[in-house]
Amino acid sequence: MQRRDFFKKALTVAGTAAIGSYTVEAAQTQHPVDNRKVSDVAFPQKRPLIVYSDRPPLLESPREVFTSALTPNDLFFVRWHMPIIPSYINPRDFYIHINGEVDKELKISLEDLKTKFEAVEITAVLQCGGNNRTAFVPTTSGIQWGVGAMGCAKWKGVRLSDVLKKAGLKSSAAWLGFNGKDKAVYNKTANFVRELDLSQINDDIILAYEMNGEDLPYLNGYPLRLVIPGVYSDSWIKMISHITVTKEKQKLHFMDHAYRIPDNECECETPQNLAVKTKPIEEMNVNALIGYPTTGTKVKTNAELIVRGVAFDGGHGIQKVELSTDGGTTWNEAKLDDGSQGKYAYRAFTYNITPQSVGTLSILCKATNTKGEVQPFTREIKWNHGGYKYNGIDTVTVEVV
Amino acid sequence: MRLLYKIVLTSFLLSSALFATPNTGIKVPYISFPMKEGKGMYATKGRCNMCHSWGYTLNQGLQSKKFWKEKVIKMIKVFNAPINNAKDIETVTNYLFENYGNGKLE
Repeated sequence: MQRRDFFKKALTVAGTAAIGSYTVEAAQTQHPVDNRKVSDVAFPQKRPLIVYSDRPPLLESPREVFTSALTPNDLFFVRWHMPIIPSYINPRDFYIHINGEVDKELKISLEDLKTKFEAVEITAVLQCGGNNRTAFVPTTSGIQWGVGAMGCAKWKGVRLSDVLKKAGLKSSAAWLGFNGKDKAVYNKTANFVRELDLSQINDDIILAYEMNGEDLPYLNGYPLRLVIPGVYSDSWIKMISHITVTKEKQKLHFMDHAYRIPDNECECETPQNLAVKTKPIEEMNVNALIGYPTTGTKVKTNAELIVRGVAFDGGHGIQKVELSTDGGTTWNEAKLDDGSQGKYAYRAFTYNITPQSVGTLSILCKATNTKGEVQPFTREIKWNHGGYKYNGIDTVTVEVV
Repeated sequence: MRLLYKIVLTSFLLSSALFATPNTGIKVPYISFPMKEGKGMYATKGRCNMCHSWGYTLNQGLQSKKFWKEKVIKMIKVFNAPINNAKDIETVTNYLFENYGNGKLE
């Protein structure tokens, strides 16, 4: 399918995201949809974003957001699983409960978290495992996200390990279950509970009560959320109110069936031959996105164009970002920011181009991390049934006039 | 003097109260996601939209009949969707496939 046709068909209707009625015969990965319009309705504490659902709220950041290392709170994407979210939380009456296989069950107030524990800060990328899901053909299960189900913030809070230390883990403790205040419509429906096993706990994991120097927006989990740097956001529980320590892994839909990929080398499968053995999506793939320009931007010949974007990975750190204007034959290094936000943060990059001739110009960018992992071309990415972990080389196409 | 005192006090309160931004709660706006007209639309609406927006459904993309049937069954088993018998499952699945299908049975 021609790119232009594809864009036409992905146009939006009445401020809501509509899925383009495209079909692609061969099972080949494509560039994710990234031209959806923002809604004309702003959600609370947010600027207008791309809206997939209001109940529960599912909001995506437009591409233009990704030009700086920190994503402003009011432009930060939103994804909830359960439709009933508290519309008001009194911070003086908010507690987190720690129970199960602990020496002492605890009920810690928000105030005590802020005043009686050491405060720590960490800048980390929060990205949905299904970000860019529209890349996968045939269409996979799940919300058909474009490129903006991600953001990067400076989180402030307390170490999860400090809270666990205070409760005291029994020798029988093996799993931690995290639950927030969102609820299903029916009482008998299980909550959105996510688990980590004890070996996954490290001092970078925090219970955050601040995001970029402010209270968290309600839709990002006010007043407290779990922050697990380096891994996809499925376990970053919002409005977190309970931590339950267990001996055994619990039976949970969202752990046993959702957010899993084939447990094989390529993390891939085909619709006809789904992998029997699966594993959690966990560590984020190395990735980069151009925030400016966007596809369709008109630029002048012989005028300097400053390309801006962000790159990140699962915490090894970005080694370099390269750009290409000849379809990926030759690559030149972009200028990276100083990296002072740490290894879990976006590295903002810039790259200057002075277009010489009139016509369309495609700009590609790819990141390499310190482990030497490089982003593949889109066509090299193989399918998985949940449409997870896409990290194809990004491309925007501008018109030089 | 009194006014100045008030201004100083107010600005002190504003600057010191870093976390005391008025917290009045939120009201999530209602966004309309129109359903395509078709056989079974009202039955589907009553069984799906009472728990979640239609946006959540339509933004799964265009899918096969097998996909929609499996989703309906997941909604019943995991989320207790009020779809109570085989006939209801068929009605909802058919509506989804006829209006949000990719033309493939599986």
